[in-house]
Amino acid sequence: MSAHPDPFRQARASSCGMTVHVDGEPIPLVLDLQGVRRAAKDWQAYSSANPFHITLQSEEALRNFRQLPIETDPPDHTDYRAIVEPLFRRPAQPDYAARMRDIVRRTVDEACALGTLDGVLSFALPLQSRALALLLNVPESEADEWITWGIRAFDHDEQGPSKGARLENYIQRQLEHAAGTPGEDLFSILHRATFRGRPLTYEEKQGFANLVFAGGRDTVIHTTTSILAYIAEHPAFCPQLAADPALVPKAVEEFVRVVTPLTAITRTCAADTPHQSAGGRIGLCWASANRDDRFFKHADRVQPDRAPNPHVAFGFGPHSCLGASHTRLLLRTLLTQCAERGLRIQTLEAIPNVEVFDTFSRPIGFSKLIQRWSAQQEIP
Amino acid sequence: MVFKWLPLNTTGRSIVPQIIFETEDGQALIVNTEAEHLMQAALDHEIPGIEGACGGVCSCATCHVHIDPAWTELVGPPNDFEAALLELEDQFKLCSRLGCQVKLTPELDGLKVRVATGAS
Ligand code: HEM
Repeated sequence: MSAHPDPFRQARASSCGMTVHVDGEPIPLVLDLQGVRRAAKDWQAYSSANPFHITLQSEEALRNFRQLPIETDPPDHTDYRAIVEPLFRRPAQPDYAARMRDIVRRTVDEACALGTLDGVLSFALPLQSRALALLLNVPESEADEWITWGIRAFDHDEQGPSKGARLENYIQRQLEHAAGTPGEDLFSILHRATFRGRPLTYEEKQGFANLVFAGGRDTVIHTTTSILAYIAEHPAFCPQLAADPALVPKAVEEFVRVVTPLTAITRTCAADTPHQSAGGRIGLCWASANRDDRFFKHADRVQPDRAPNPHVAFGFGPHSCLGASHTRLLLRTLLTQCAERGLRIQTLEAIPNVEVFDTFSRPIGFSKLIQRWSAQQEIP
Repeated sequence: MVFKWLPLNTTGRSIVPQIIFETEDGQALIVNTEAEHLMQAALDHEIPGIEGACGGVCSCATCHVHIDPAWTELVGPPNDFEAALLELEDQFKLCSRLGCQVKLTPELDGLKVRVATGAS
């Protein structure tokens, strides 16, 4: 956590800004907090309805269907989003919080029993997977399969298309199962759903299911491992949380701000703008906005009690993150249990996961985080 | 308009501010509260439309309210963090505030606000 540099600082301060080039395409980045918020809000000028081109790197090679609801604009977006919104509101229910506590307790227990472990593969990945099973309302045993996919499961690399196919096959199986024995899980909801009076097409169902895995996996894992590294570097942190539990939600917001695991998301300009012509893309750089020193004093420091903390790590406007309530609950529960147990962590080896583009690179979480864990107290 | 009194849900002092929340579907919910901030008072009493997703750090605007004209002066204007967020809200008005930034004091006894998140 100590190494959380801000690769956008200079560009934010200068009038030149920053442009990244992806496969020869220039993508100017919006870097200041209020500029990012304005652009995210103005979907008429800055459209999301450009399939495969929401991430800086095009995803054309990974899939051939539109991700939903993200790759659409209102009013379509509003109706698509409404289909899954009730599922994403469940984290507010007391029963959901109790089940989350149980998942976190078991996963922390397992890590403590191991003693020495890779915080990425042996803690963050199972924790994220089990929690996602809760969110999607599928049996927790499904998480066992997702865990075998490892991290960076849907990234671009030399195995790109085969990784995409693995997820597509999985989703196909789940949708077929839901058609036969519908329940209350994501796949059954998609099976039953209608869009303006007609059932969803197969591609639409795939588009919804694909996004929850693509968007809800590495984001959570990288934030979790960054928290583990911070706990190791700051032995006073867990006792501080134990003494003042009201600090927990604030600390979660601060970790999400500093890590900002989703660096930027793009929009396509409907008309010529000062920095991009019509049809070209701009990047909403959440990571830069979250270090804007007009809003964040000592922006590069982790201040667990930071308030106000007007970050945009979960986005802003109509597309703001549907998984935010779930993620907040997960991370708050994790910090609460670390504090209650007096968790002690020592980092033995840390290899940062680094995102690289032509004009910037930034560490986001870890690809390996070997740690020694011990807890002072059991949670009953 | 339907008026409904919600019970004080803490053990509490005898004199605590009373707040009237008008919900987006036109109910008036009256609460006695010991909460430090308006957002917390709303969450304690499960006021429909107030989610307080970010926990009160001025990041999400899910505690947006309109202050009744009779109270705007006493409540005061939004701070800079709040104003930057509020000006982009669909239901922004000059009387807009974020509940998480409104500190409750005994002088605010009787305060009337309208939920303005569009979420209920
Ligand atoms: C730390 C964790 C997370 C971060 C930082 C994060 C960040 C974001 C951001 C910045 C957006 C806005 C995209 C845009 O404006 O185009 C977004 C949207 C979205 N996120 Fe997350 N996310 C996280 C976790 C999750 C999880 C766990 C899920 C679900 C399993 C999820 C599902 C979604 C979906 C479905 C959208 C699209 C919403 C829409 O288009 O209306 N996210 N997320």
